Amino acid sequence: MTADLVRRTVVLCRDLRSRGMTVTTAHAIDAIRALRCVRMESRERVYLALRCVLVARPEEMEIFDDAFAVAFSPPPPGAVEGSVRVQRRSAPRDPAAVPSLSSWAKQEEEGGDGEDAEAVPAASDMPAVVQKDFSTFGADELADIQRIASRIARRLAARPSRRWASDRRGRRIDLRRTMRRALAELLDLRFRRRKPRKTRIVAICDVSGSMDLYSRFLLQFLYALQGTVARVESFVFSTVLRRVTDVLRQPDYARMLRGLSAEVHDWSGGTRIGESLSTFNRDWGRIVDRRTVVVILSDGWDTGDPSLLGAEMEMLQRRSRRVVWLNPLLGSADYQPLTQGMQAALPHVSVFAPAHNLAALRALERHLLS
Amino acid sequence: MADPAIATSLHLALELHKPLLIEGHAGVGKTEIAKVLARLLGTDLIRLQCYEGLDASTALYEWNYARQLLHIRLQESDGHAPADSEAKIFSEPFLLKRPLLQAIAHEGRPPVLLVDEIDRSDEEFEAFLLEVLSDFQVTVPELGTIRARERPHVILTSNRSRELSDALRRRCLYLFIDHPPFEKELTIVRRKVPGASEDLAAQIVALVQRLRRAKLAKVPGVSETLDWAEALVVLHAAHLTPELVGETLGCLVKDEADLRKVRADIEAGRLPLGAA
Repeated sequence: MTADLVRRTVVLCRDLRSRGMTVTTAHAIDAIRALRCVRMESRERVYLALRCVLVARPEEMEIFDDAFAVAFSPPPPGAVEGSVRVQRRSAPRDPAAVPSLSSWAKQEEEGGDGEDAEAVPAASDMPAVVQKDFSTFGADELADIQRIASRIARRLAARPSRRWASDRRGRRIDLRRTMRRALAELLDLRFRRRKPRKTRIVAICDVSGSMDLYSRFLLQFLYALQGTVARVESFVFSTVLRRVTDVLRQPDYARMLRGLSAEVHDWSGGTRIGESLSTFNRDWGRIVDRRTVVVILSDGWDTGDPSLLGAEMEMLQRRSRRVVWLNPLLGSADYQPLTQGMQAALPHVSVFAPAHNLAALRALERHLLS
Repeated sequence: MADPAIATSLHLALELHKPLLIEGHAGVGKTEIAKVLARLLGTDLIRLQCYEGLDASTALYEWNYARQLLHIRLQESDGHAPADSEAKIFSEPFLLKRPLLQAIAHEGRPPVLLVDEIDRSDEEFEAFLLEVLSDFQVTVPELGTIRARERPHVILTSNRSRELSDALRRRCLYLFIDHPPFEKELTIVRRKVPGASEDLAAQIVALVQRLRRAKLAKVPGVSETLDWAEALVVLHAAHLTPELVGETLGCLVKDEADLRKVRADIEAGRLPLGAA
């Protein structure tokens, strides 16, 4: 194998890594071993071999194609030893361009509260914390929300699965353990029962302008679920849908918020629920099955086509165990779900509930579990 | 039907001794690849069908309890001490080998191990499988360690019903199979359903390809195309007519809402049918 080919392959691996793909040294070694197995005069064979080793999921195909075109372009790219030109697909965003979220993140870091209590639709006149509208919370009180969300998450984590674990109070005899212990005497029976299974939740959260007041709480909630229950997939949308599961998984909360503001460019934009759900069904529909609870958090102010929203909601409802629509405006006594979008979506919603305070969140527990 | 991407992937999997992870839509022939590979290598295919709740005792091995019990009873009636039985009933004749252990303990040429629909199993099983795939040895406490003499060729398939772990993906070579283009699908139909005339086959494939572009909840795969072609051949169809399509549409479109939509499209003449 020529030194040039090896160098190009190494350059390619480094480029892929800088573009966010997982390419370890072991991969690079495999890539070079793979090249030894194919006819190298064929560019297509080299391309296919490297792709087979270095790509791990369909979403990475495009990135790979880009990087391959650069690394294997006619003039040798490694003219200067060790220097690799890396082109980022998009420049890092200025945090100031995304006002509400980044300022929140900043505030979180400084520990200040800086909350202005504006008039908001209140659920009741009870002064207790659980009845307080999220939009009026200070940063210090957000801890309460996180605690309750964690409690919900722990309960969700304890449903029975189809796997078996040895248990003295189980219903089924564990033959293996019984045989081990008793050999001939089948009197001392060992039992087993189903292991707890985690419920899968897919959360799709509206972060458009009209939902800005509540987005703090919603994300806190999602974040706590993500930390405790392994199977939460979270998405945010306003005009475009984005998967934020990996961003929410960051252990450091402030960093997570910064990451999210870089990720969600259309924060506080208009809302296109129908199109966002359509994107979801097309690209992510496969993760929804009969034991998945889909939670949509939105006020239903849709600027798109209501019939599209209705059709996409129907599809979601058919695939999932249940669709829960959370609307913070339901907390307001005189709110009526009259918007066209809400009207189109409601026939396909199993549970329509408010999500404006801790009491509402506590009630949500039931909808997610039953 | 040697597609260069598929051929290269299989070639590398054999040369580098790595598992090959195949993803793609339902019915594009992921499982078929493993079968063909086993046939080409002239070796056995061992298949592990995954499902939710699949665990080590179903995938790896289990003791044959009924036989153990029977043996103990017989020994007792012969007046043997139970202690003698222990070594005996935990020996190989009493071991039920499940697919993974079968693949490891396989004699002769290394077999092809097909782990089908890995996405249907749960994360715990995935982690367990990863361990088995990394060293191809299994320790049965009562028997000792069983090691593969030669590594089996491993093929995993996934329908992407859930995301697989990065660890598993990193360990494998990767192949994504899309629906075949017109020419290739036509060749497949001609080869697999020889009873279909060239005209009919072309019409079938044209319609299926068109349906894949329509927004359906369940997109028909190649296996649906083949089922449908077979059904039409049984009905002695020479070419497609709206009536024939209407009667046999269930072979192709398997979702109620999709059926309604496609029927409406046929009635409105929006789909390429018959002698177009």
